[in-house]
Amino acid sequence: MTWYDVYAIFQGAVFTVSISLASIVIGLPLGLGFALIRWSSVPVLDRFVVVYVSVIRASPAVTLALLIFFALPVVGISLGAVTAAVVTLTLSTAAFNTEIWRGALMSFPREQLESARAFGMTRGLRFRRIVFPQLVHSALPALVNEMTLQVKSSPAIAVLGLVDITRAASRVGARTYDPLPPFVVALVLYSLIVAVFVMTQRLIERRRAAEMEALR
Amino acid sequence: MTPPMDDAEAPVVLAAHGVSKSFGANTVLTDMELTVRKGETVCLLGPSGSGKSTFLRCLNWLEEPDAGFIVLKGQRIGIRPSGNIVMNDRELAAIRTRIGMVFQHFALWPHLTVLENVMEAPIHVQRRDKAEVRREAEALLQRVGIADKAGQYPARLSGGQKQRVGIARALAMKPDLLLFDEPTSALDPELVGEVLAVMKDLAREGMTMVVVTHEMAFARDVASRVVFLDQGRIVESGAPEEFFTRPKTDRARQFLLRYSAQ
Amino acid sequence: MNGFTIVWDNRDVLLSGFANTIALSAIAAVVSLVLGALLAMALMARSKAARIGATVYVDAMRCVPFLLLAYLIYYGLPSFGIRMSNWTSGLIALIVYNVAYMAELLRAAWANLPKESIEAGHAFGFHGLKLVRRIILPPVFFAAVPMIGNQTIQIIKDSAFLTIIAVAELTQAAMAIQTTYFVPFASFVAAIALYWITCMAIETGVAFVGRVAKARQ
Repeated sequence: MTWYDVYAIFQGAVFTVSISLASIVIGLPLGLGFALIRWSSVPVLDRFVVVYVSVIRASPAVTLALLIFFALPVVGISLGAVTAAVVTLTLSTAAFNTEIWRGALMSFPREQLESARAFGMTRGLRFRRIVFPQLVHSALPALVNEMTLQVKSSPAIAVLGLVDITRAASRVGARTYDPLPPFVVALVLYSLIVAVFVMTQRLIERRRAAEMEALR
Repeated sequence: MTPPMDDAEAPVVLAAHGVSKSFGANTVLTDMELTVRKGETVCLLGPSGSGKSTFLRCLNWLEEPDAGFIVLKGQRIGIRPSGNIVMNDRELAAIRTRIGMVFQHFALWPHLTVLENVMEAPIHVQRRDKAEVRREAEALLQRVGIADKAGQYPARLSGGQKQRVGIARALAMKPDLLLFDEPTSALDPELVGEVLAVMKDLAREGMTMVVVTHEMAFARDVASRVVFLDQGRIVESGAPEEFFTRPKTDRARQFLLRYSAQ
Repeated sequence: MNGFTIVWDNRDVLLSGFANTIALSAIAAVVSLVLGALLAMALMARSKAARIGATVYVDAMRCVPFLLLAYLIYYGLPSFGIRMSNWTSGLIALIVYNVAYMAELLRAAWANLPKESIEAGHAFGFHGLKLVRRIILPPVFFAAVPMIGNQTIQIIKDSAFLTIIAVAELTQAAMAIQTTYFVPFASFVAAIALYWITCMAIETGVAFVGRVAKARQ
């Protein structure tokens, strides 16, 4: 294995990170939107969200990627591999985010909404100034956890012929007939990426613990 | 039902006529009448479940009455002046800015500091000048004796401190009147006094207030008028000296007996 | 829908893939649950060495994506002279990976167990393994059933990755039908429907166990 191979795996890492970030960035507001549809029981649409969440929760990312990449052209929607990958990961993470946001909305204190109404806030203002900031606070730990899971399921896009860390490593291994060194490099890179999320999570947990401590 | 002469001359701030409300088969309020004049402190008394909190919440339309109407300084709340159409979110919001409310469980916004809680609605709802609002908010916190906590988050405060912030927050809107929904019943007994003291000052300064409370001493000493509710109806209404010393109905007598025993 | 007729005609392929997915997931779920219980004991052990060893293993698995572990076992182990079929490699990967998750969720349920019932066990002379086996683990399992159900769903989803190392599971079968007849929509929709039905079955089972557990309280 040469330095060039390490560089190739590193490029795979850059791809993994960017595609995961793209799906996270789109999946967060999308999940919130779906959760709001469920929360305010928009007729018909909320049934649609229930089925969507249930099906996606049960679908392996690999199978979903194949469906989106190979099957959508049949109904006239043709996506490039990269777009199909982002769509797959976004649909998948948005389903889990929907449940997280919805859980936070369901446990949102009624009195908070009421005091906002009593102070003359309109619906939009109530959501922006009172609900949303508290929602982010209560949903954040679960959301970051979901991001970690998302990064770990991103190798699924290898079935679309895209070269992420895992695939880059296996290609180097196949060429050099010595698969272990590239896999170790891939492991290290993954651990670094996941560590960023896990550390964020720990940081949030520690800050929450400090907040609780301060309340005593 | 005859208020003292000097109050009779004061203009009516809020009036409720024939307000009724039921939740499903359960009738909570029947044909409620109330007139609040400028500078009055009206205390709503009654056993728990008598409907006094629901009635208070109807006054700013947090609860939508099934029948009757509420008028704030000549303007109907909840129903548009033209015809029988319920107001939309925006119209209701505009009227609610003129009615301050203090909640039983404080309902301070936990993600904002004490000062930010007080400044939030004046800046974002009333769109007033930020620097001016800040000066006023600081003065209000001073007035309720909590200026040193301005930068703290509500979770760090005691119940009594939270409720004083709740009052300052309501005052910051410069409302025509203040509604208090059992402001001291979530407090530890030793903290009740500090909140009642603030309310007493407000009453003396001529703030118009409607107070749902179980604090009989406060009602007797501070109220310009008490209204006694039972099972969703107004049973008695009059001057506190009258009500506390010579209640006219059996139900009021029983109620007072139970509370004086405590 | 012509495609679905073709998939129906090839249902043997799809169903044998489905059978493989179920077999792999079921064995992996049971084995990793049992081994996970042992690992959970290590996580909660008094010995510091056992705790650290177990924690390192759990954390390592939480950092690695499943596919990379499957690659390591399938392509990497032969370097050490260990050769296995892709089916066995896949199964081992599923187990090695999910033992860590099962252990962690059992540990969480264990940590939330009321202290009194353990103390009562001590008071009645239970200790060591017997205390764990008779007093601690049964309520831990009951409390953890929803999480175990979730993890089993995760195992089924992980097993789809094995298509990349050519294990003949459900997604692989769908892929095979699609490449032969070019009916991508029908074949992948059929596969996802089967995954969905399986997960619904697991969730129903979890709800049933939950009701039983409640009735016994």
